[in-house]
Amino acid sequence: MKRLLTAALALALAGWAAPAPAAESTLAKIARTGTLTIGTRRGSPPFGYVNQKNEWVGFSIDLVEQAIKPAVERKLGKPVKVEKKESTPATRIPLLTSNAVDLIAGTMTDTRPRRESVDFSLTFFVTGAQFLVKKGSPIRGIGDIAGKRVAAQQGSTNARIIRARVPGAQLREFPDQPSAFQALAQGQVDAYTNDGIQLAGLVAKAPRPGDWAIVGDFYSYEPYGMALRKNDSDFRHLVNVGLMEAIESGKYLQLYEKWFGPKGEVPYPLTPENKRFLTMQVVPK
Amino acid sequence: MSYEFRWSVLWSGQSGAWLLQGLLTTLAISALAWVLAAALGILSGALRTVPWRPLRAAAAFYVEFFRNVPLLVWMFFWYFGVPPLLPAAFRGWLFDHGAEFWAGMFALGVYHGARMSEVIRSGIQSIPRTQFEAAYAMGLTTAQVYRLVIVPIALRLIVPPATNESLNLLKNSSVALTISVAELTFQTRQIETYTAKAIEALTAGTVIYLALCLLIAGVMGRVERRFAIPGLIVRGGA
Amino acid sequence: METRLADGQPPGTSGPRGTVIEFKAVNKWFGCLHVLCDIGLAVQAGEVVVVCGPSGSGKSTLIRCVNGLEPIQSGELHVLGECISRAGADMPLLRSRVGMVFQSFNLFPHMTVLENIMLGPIKVKKASRGEAESAARGLLERVQIPDKASAYPANLSGGQQQRVAIARALAMQPGIMLFDEPTSALDPEMINEVLDVMTDLARDGMTMMVVTHEMGFAKRVADRVVFMDGGQVIEEAPPGAFFAAAQSDRAREFLSKILTH
Repeated sequence: MKRLLTAALALALAGWAAPAPAAESTLAKIARTGTLTIGTRRGSPPFGYVNQKNEWVGFSIDLVEQAIKPAVERKLGKPVKVEKKESTPATRIPLLTSNAVDLIAGTMTDTRPRRESVDFSLTFFVTGAQFLVKKGSPIRGIGDIAGKRVAAQQGSTNARIIRARVPGAQLREFPDQPSAFQALAQGQVDAYTNDGIQLAGLVAKAPRPGDWAIVGDFYSYEPYGMALRKNDSDFRHLVNVGLMEAIESGKYLQLYEKWFGPKGEVPYPLTPENKRFLTMQVVPK
Repeated sequence: MSYEFRWSVLWSGQSGAWLLQGLLTTLAISALAWVLAAALGILSGALRTVPWRPLRAAAAFYVEFFRNVPLLVWMFFWYFGVPPLLPAAFRGWLFDHGAEFWAGMFALGVYHGARMSEVIRSGIQSIPRTQFEAAYAMGLTTAQVYRLVIVPIALRLIVPPATNESLNLLKNSSVALTISVAELTFQTRQIETYTAKAIEALTAGTVIYLALCLLIAGVMGRVERRFAIPGLIVRGGA
Repeated sequence: METRLADGQPPGTSGPRGTVIEFKAVNKWFGCLHVLCDIGLAVQAGEVVVVCGPSGSGKSTLIRCVNGLEPIQSGELHVLGECISRAGADMPLLRSRVGMVFQSFNLFPHMTVLENIMLGPIKVKKASRGEAESAARGLLERVQIPDKASAYPANLSGGQQQRVAIARALAMQPGIMLFDEPTSALDPEMINEVLDVMTDLARDGMTMMVVTHEMGFAKRVADRVVFMDGGQVIEEAPPGAFFAAAQSDRAREFLSKILTH
């Protein structure tokens, strides 16, 4: 019995962990299937979400479609189609390592521990964690949350930072944005913390945006990158080239304006500092 | 491009403590929910067979209503839907004292109670009609007939399907992570967040669930042998 | 309840007196099937009445009405001085006064023999455990299986199970005993051990209604034989008269089948 179990477990793990026979490169896989499969979000406006017309759209998705896809097509010399799959903080790394998706293009913060499991592209967006509260709440920032009930997203870096910096806060971790927001709206929690841009997106979509306030300075640095399988530098290079070209050509700014400009889904002006940072990531031709 | 295993993430840092906490939470929520489910299941399962229609209808309503809506929805119902019905002062207190845990416990217990009910009902219905008659013929009241004769026999008959339901309950306790209950699956995800080692964390969770389930199955197997009815019930009478 | 039922005395002493069971124009239907038609029948204290008839004649239904396992739809039924056909009759109390033995024994399989016998006295009559146990052991002596007290029903032969079932019914000190084909599920070699116990019981003066095909038992023990067919009582007579010269064709036909068989 015991031996049987061990064997079954080993088999399961082998099928799960070891990627397809002798490591086909991502580019070869895309060339073979004609498909670039990305993991993105359905409920994280404006990076990846399903809009009112029931289309799956967003800034991260546009970057893949309009910056990365052309670079891949040029390299392979043939058209490629982009297929989208839902990926949550908890599933995105397994999705990637199991070859179910080739690229995570959502709202994933580039961190050192994550780089031990996956590789990251250039940073394509910079934000930091803040708090969403009901208008008039006494919470004004990370200094006020001790003893308070604070919602965060499971598997996010924010929860981790709160736990380390304010151990007295009562952290409640929800798997997705809508339930965390619901908990805030109903009073199960006093504040909801997430990256400022995500909170802005949430408020923009809320029935009464005026009821909510985003408070506090960034208490974390959240550079968003696209995640790829480790040790596939050809593909990573291609993704980076796509992003650099978009930044260089103004395509990036145009998309930024579309989503974050004054008339965009979530107004979130690009600070001069962040603009400079993005430009400086572009290495010479 | 292959995945690099680093199993040490499971015992270095806080992982061990998290897994233990998760395990304890899973056991606590499952045990309490199991008691609730067993009580509701026995009560409603028995009521579905009594000779009085309004009670049967009430029990049938409970079963059909609760088992035919996904558990996830019930989690949200007990966590988001019920608190607004409570007095404000109690609600505030509850939010500071494990509202998530209690909502999850009720969701799990009431949902599985409805499923357990069907198991118990089928157990009761497999008891020959004449067994009821013999108990009634002695002068027992309906409540006594059920409490002293029918339910004790039914419970002995349904150990295998009840074991199955109990294992489902244990595994379904992981759904409580959607309302922020820090149970075992939640903690394995936490380890993944901190270490970015998803497969190691998932494996740890899998192995613990598997061990728990095998343990429960083993215990229930012993219970079944211990309380087995000597010989077999003659189904359908002679 | 206005009328107290007569206290059940142990069989053998003077039981309730006078008419203890009386059917007055009783009718019963299963759906549109008329299973009891206009039954009029009285049983006196201490009497042993054997009810016989072809299958489907309504004989089992008849005795199941006596302890209310089957409700009746019209007419009146008096048992031990109580009209049990009226709404609100205290059925548990009535049933504690009327013992019943079933064709399929129906012992409770999760209890030992002793627990089976003690259940009623403890739970219904609120007897103490000690009283109930000594009474139960006495009854097991009486049905001649004192050594099976701690056995489970499944470990007994059919004949032994049926004797335990009789002991279980007697433990309630009933005023009336009903037997619904008590030997029909038994292997032939076990029939007599059960009939012997029933015969002893009759000799001790117990009022009994017995549905059975055991005509030998009827001849030896019954005070009266009631023959039923098609839901009607066709004929009632002392066994001697009934077996020697049944009045109706149907009874004669029935007897010819059952006695040559």
